[in-house]
Amino acid sequence: MPINRIERRYVPFAYAFLLPTIAVFLLFYLIPIVTVVLTSFTRWDGFSTPTFNGLTNYLRFFSQSSFLISLRNLLLWSLIAATLHVGFGVLVAFVLFQKPKGWKAVRGVYMIPNIVSSAAMAMIFRFMFNNDFGFLNSLIRLVRPSFQVNWFFESPWAFVAVTLTWLFYGAIITLIVLGDLMNIPSDLHDAARIDGATGFQAILRIQLPLCRYAIGTSIILSITSRIAMYEAIALTTRGGPGDDTMNIPIILVKAITDLNYGLANAAAVFMFLMGMFTLWIINRLFRMNNPIY
Amino acid sequence: MPDTSRTRNRLKFSGTTVFLYLVMLFVFIISVFPVLWVVLSSFKDNSAILSSPFSLPERFDFNPFIQVFTQYNFGLYTINSLVIASVATIISLLIYSMGAYSIAKFRFPGKNLLYLLFTLTLLVPPHTKAQPIFSLITNLGLSDTRFALVFVYISFGMAITMFVMRISFMSIPDSLNEAAFIEGAGFWRVYWSIDLPLARTGLATSGIMMFLGNWNEYFYAMLLTSSPRVRTLPLALAFFTEAFSYDYTQMFAALTIVILPGIIMYIITQEQVQASVASTGVKG
Repeated sequence: MPINRIERRYVPFAYAFLLPTIAVFLLFYLIPIVTVVLTSFTRWDGFSTPTFNGLTNYLRFFSQSSFLISLRNLLLWSLIAATLHVGFGVLVAFVLFQKPKGWKAVRGVYMIPNIVSSAAMAMIFRFMFNNDFGFLNSLIRLVRPSFQVNWFFESPWAFVAVTLTWLFYGAIITLIVLGDLMNIPSDLHDAARIDGATGFQAILRIQLPLCRYAIGTSIILSITSRIAMYEAIALTTRGGPGDDTMNIPIILVKAITDLNYGLANAAAVFMFLMGMFTLWIINRLFRMNNPIY
Repeated sequence: MPDTSRTRNRLKFSGTTVFLYLVMLFVFIISVFPVLWVVLSSFKDNSAILSSPFSLPERFDFNPFIQVFTQYNFGLYTINSLVIASVATIISLLIYSMGAYSIAKFRFPGKNLLYLLFTLTLLVPPHTKAQPIFSLITNLGLSDTRFALVFVYISFGMAITMFVMRISFMSIPDSLNEAAFIEGAGFWRVYWSIDLPLARTGLATSGIMMFLGNWNEYFYAMLLTSSPRVRTLPLALAFFTEAFSYDYTQMFAALTIVILPGIIMYIITQEQVQASVASTGVKG
């Protein structure tokens, strides 16, 4: 598209068309992010002017016992997300790629739990895991009639219950990986077959490495979802019992309602840095900047 | 020769085939069952829910739904959700398609930087901006209004709409624009009457994704609103289950009211939703 006279005449209009987007970007992204970073170093209740207090918020945030539990939970959940959760999503993608009968229907319904509001999904799980009328315990009682567990409200089951609300729901991973699988040039499959690679070898040596980007992206997405997980906890355990299922967004919201904005924003900066760290490390591990083909 | 190799293949893969179908069955059950259980339970009375969780409802009684709608204001909450989600979606589509149009069709200094910044917003978890947005809305005098949620939801669609619409506009041949400009058509007219209608697939895709995201949003609805007058469905659901935890039938009915519209919308538009998720990795 060469820059000709006609086009140059329209450049001011092009800028004008971008103005609303730029306004939203400034108002809802740039200014908030700068505010978060700056005020995380201040004492601020939202009404008075923020006063600089150095690293006090961070030190308070890091020394809270709920933070240490949140960090432990985040590490555990991230590990589970990167291995079992993404692993299951990838497995489903490879299963669907074999195109067994009904694969399109399964691909279609697998997305439903992701389409349902995460608030509603949390409710559904609270009901399913309910001790009195929940489906899970009714099922277990068919075998062991005396079984009684209040999944979301008893240690150590609460952690397991919260994990189960997302563990197998990897439809986004499946769709991304399946997309990459379908984009593998067919001559690569043919070449593998001629070289005598059996089905499993072809998967291990060719298809899996060629889906490297998709798998890396999936791990990033699923770990960042763990960092930001809110509804699945706030509407079930609220971080309890004790602080068993505490996580950083729960601490952040509590700090806002306590009008401790400096602390809330220190927590936000920490979330942001964790996200960046995940992005960086997975990028390195999966060599996502190197071309695949 | 071909025959023996075929039988061998079939034998070798039969174990694999069983495994494939077991995985598919498992995925099907965990995806459909929770929703189905909720919908079916909303047609059973309290005692049936407690005593026979596996039974099908004996009859389809819509009274719990009517009660939830009329006595507990779910009609109002549905309208709130619908209005807020639609208005935010339509405004975002307009704003971001204009921005994406400029970036896709014209050359000017700073366009790559802007595009990068706009799409990078995807990496900012919405929760991290909770305090500044809470303060912004309060300072604008908009707290506890529908406008507050419309504003915030408009901002959520930025990255995905920019991404989808830029590709849509780029796939339209530039010669169409050039011809129209030479004919003397104005900038707005070329955008509105030529390019936008041709980019309608992109509009549909990003519109559906944004609407679903807005319809489901809970966190900012909880943070920015308090009165029932402006409450949206996900938030109403949370309040309802707190207050009426003894009436299981109505809880399930309320839950059904919240989840079914999104699922129906997804079933109608699943091709677009799946394509969009596969290319962006984002749902709503």
